[in-house]
Amino acid sequence: MLTHALFGGLLFGLYFTLVGLGLNLIFGVMRIVNLAHGDFLMLGAFAAYWLFTLFGLHPLVAAVAVLVVFVLVGLPIYYLIVPRLLVSRDSEMLSIILFFGLSQIIEALASIFFGTTERSIPGRVLGTGPVRILGQSVPSAWAFGAAVSAVAVILVYLYLYRTRLGTLTRAVMVSRDEALATGIDVHRVSAIAFGIGIALAGIAGVFEPFMLGSVTPAIGGDITIAAFAVIVVGTLGNPLGTVLGGIVYGVSLLLMQTYLSSWANLLPNLLLIGVLLIRPEGLLGRQVRRA
Amino acid sequence: MTGDLLTASGIEAGYGKVQVLWGAGVAVNERESVVLLGPNGAGKTTFLKVLLGLMPAWRGAVRFAGDDITRMRTDHRVRRGLAYMSEIGVFTGLSIEENLRIGGQFVERATLRARTEELYGIFPALAERKSALAGALSGGQRKMLGIAKALAAGPRLLVMDEPSAGLSPLFVSQVIEVLGRFRESGLALLIAEQNVAFLDLADRVFTLEAGRVGFEGTVEALHADDALHRAYFGLEGS
Repeated sequence: MLTHALFGGLLFGLYFTLVGLGLNLIFGVMRIVNLAHGDFLMLGAFAAYWLFTLFGLHPLVAAVAVLVVFVLVGLPIYYLIVPRLLVSRDSEMLSIILFFGLSQIIEALASIFFGTTERSIPGRVLGTGPVRILGQSVPSAWAFGAAVSAVAVILVYLYLYRTRLGTLTRAVMVSRDEALATGIDVHRVSAIAFGIGIALAGIAGVFEPFMLGSVTPAIGGDITIAAFAVIVVGTLGNPLGTVLGGIVYGVSLLLMQTYLSSWANLLPNLLLIGVLLIRPEGLLGRQVRRA
Repeated sequence: MTGDLLTASGIEAGYGKVQVLWGAGVAVNERESVVLLGPNGAGKTTFLKVLLGLMPAWRGAVRFAGDDITRMRTDHRVRRGLAYMSEIGVFTGLSIEENLRIGGQFVERATLRARTEELYGIFPALAERKSALAGALSGGQRKMLGIAKALAAGPRLLVMDEPSAGLSPLFVSQVIEVLGRFRESGLALLIAEQNVAFLDLADRVFTLEAGRVGFEGTVEALHADDALHRAYFGLEGS
């Protein structure tokens, strides 16, 4: 049972890496806290639900559509909100208030348009029956969600470390002032990072009904807290530290659900409090908080 | 006060309601090296930020290579050949190679490759550790990297903010020696400093005090002015 919990935790950890990745990318580049992150994920989940229900689209196709649409939606949202935030005296604090408001608006609109009924997509869409990996039997939807997450993490890594735009993005993460002084078009770089961050949330949302069971307009808040726990554990502002945070979160979640199931919902808060008390800079600490 | 490369005149600027610059100006000609001398708090960094478009000018004008660039974005100024080396000067979390690539972001790939190799020839200590993080370098090496990063853009004018900051006298003389070589090759320099050692590089000097230009002239003329000589060189030689 322990081995199964650990292995399942690893798969869930990869999924939660994807859940937190976009939030950490946005924080790393802009030093703003997107409290609407979970709501963008919720919209991704509804997009997958409706695309499957109305057109029978496979979640992978839905993920590609969500990627494109969310990047395109993220760009105007960035230019509408973020430049004004960044010139304020305390942009981090103001971003919390502003994105909390945006979260409330998205949730309210989703409730009006989609209703509050729980929606789900049949697990068989991602394969029937469990699959065996390394001697462990796990639901195919978990394996699918974890595989997509791993691919997304690799693509983000390649973007950050193997492309010209990615290098500029890491430069902005290291020092926005130096980036401006060097002539980097900081708003263009940040807007693209914002779009990618939102899109990553959307893609995580596509697989949310399979990993967490169902979607309602109200899941955004809990998802944001879970994502926040993941990135605080993995080190704020370090997108690739999110992998470690996600795995710690996923394994802890499955262990809690296996041995202390009634306490499992407390996990994000426990992890947040624990890390903030013991190692507030995150598990990877300052040595890797360098973009 | 005009220069055929850069002319800034009547610059007023500040932070919020606090005015820092009161009609400051400077002029730099092609292939000329100008030192902007002033004590801490004189407004040197603010002035340079206005020149680069990192801060808006409340009043006054900046012209570069004949064009009015007062309201132009920083990246467009950099594309036109105006490079800036801030006090930090490098991206500490990125490698030496990445810093140079970012410095030359607007340069065609083949040109940048050739220029980077040239810079590695001038700064062999950087060539030996291309993949090392800039943050792992010593203060002097970081300064060299900052210079190389700014030069990767192939600028017509290199604007530097206190290149001596945080350096020991030995490293300061190394920086001056390197800058002297670029000056000889025809690069125009505008160096904001409080360290008078950099006057060795200067064709002309401007002094900035409390946001206003006090003196403009040659180094010899600065030495000849008793009050200024005492202010910047103390009792030495008086």
